[in-house]
Amino acid sequence: MSNNRVSRRQFLNYTLTGVGGFMAAGMLMPMVRFAIDPVLQKAGGGDFIPTGKKVSDITEVPERVDFAFEQVDAWYTSEVTSTAWVYKNGDKIIALSPVCKHLGCTVNWAGSPDHPDQFFCPCHGGRYEKSGKNIPKTPPLGPLDEFEVREKDGLLEIGKTRPNTLV
Amino acid sequence: MYWNSKDISVFVEQKEFVDTAVIPLLLIDGQASKLKQNASSAEFLMALTAFIENQFKGRVILMPPVSYTTKTNRQQLGQEWDEMLKEAGFKHLFFVSSDMGWVNEESALNVIYTPSIPLENMDRKLRQSVLDDQLRQIIPVFAKRWASTT
Ligand code: FES
Repeated sequence: MSNNRVSRRQFLNYTLTGVGGFMAAGMLMPMVRFAIDPVLQKAGGGDFIPTGKKVSDITEVPERVDFAFEQVDAWYTSEVTSTAWVYKNGDKIIALSPVCKHLGCTVNWAGSPDHPDQFFCPCHGGRYEKSGKNIPKTPPLGPLDEFEVREKDGLLEIGKTRPNTLV
Repeated sequence: MYWNSKDISVFVEQKEFVDTAVIPLLLIDGQASKLKQNASSAEFLMALTAFIENQFKGRVILMPPVSYTTKTNRQQLGQEWDEMLKEAGFKHLFFVSSDMGWVNEESALNVIYTPSIPLENMDRKLRQSVLDDQLRQIIPVFAKRWASTT
């Protein structure tokens, strides 16, 4: 036999290195991406979106306030306007997310005539108190999220959502 | 939710909660004289159904629009979709269209007819409020039909 014949050991070595290399790459790539991604992304987080709502007009009764940003849905791209339920709690402005914590429908303040002082989800009858606290025995398992808010030149600006801090 | 793989897996797992399909019925009319208006009404229907989806995200799956031509037999088309989606496990079907043809149609389909409003020249705010108004008229239709069967 010729002496450049690949021995069994060599063969295994080659193949295993090859496979191992792929596996390592498979594992490393996402890790590298995770590590680098935050650097590449713009700091979108702390952005506040202006609304046309005068802070002095906000009352104790939750009211819809819209604010716009761009969103791409499955096959329909649009400049989606998002909504918050905004009210004053003493001097503090509260802005709650209208997204139901069950499966994501949009909740309405006083949406059910039987519960005029609660948020109501039309999809499966989920309900929340004014603070966003979910009412037990309705489908949602957690309270409504809260938006960060700030005031600029007398107008309300809305930021990121965060877990409810009132409940 | 939408007819895509991610949302469909929610549908499959949560049939007790996700039980409704919304189907935009879209007449495409290529006649030169109708082109512009037809495209505008398609735009309107897509925007409106996206609004409906957003409102009822947790219970509704918005289907890709069912497009047809002036020659299509509406009754048959509707029936096929109706049967197929019920077989797929949807309890409630809402067909939405701006095509007057469905209004006169003597079919078992309950098509929600909404006259098309040209959105193309509106700024974002106006568009939003026009669509909101339309949505608000449609919400009770959904609520009613859901309530009548549960
Ligand atoms: S999505 Fe709100 S109760 Fe189910």
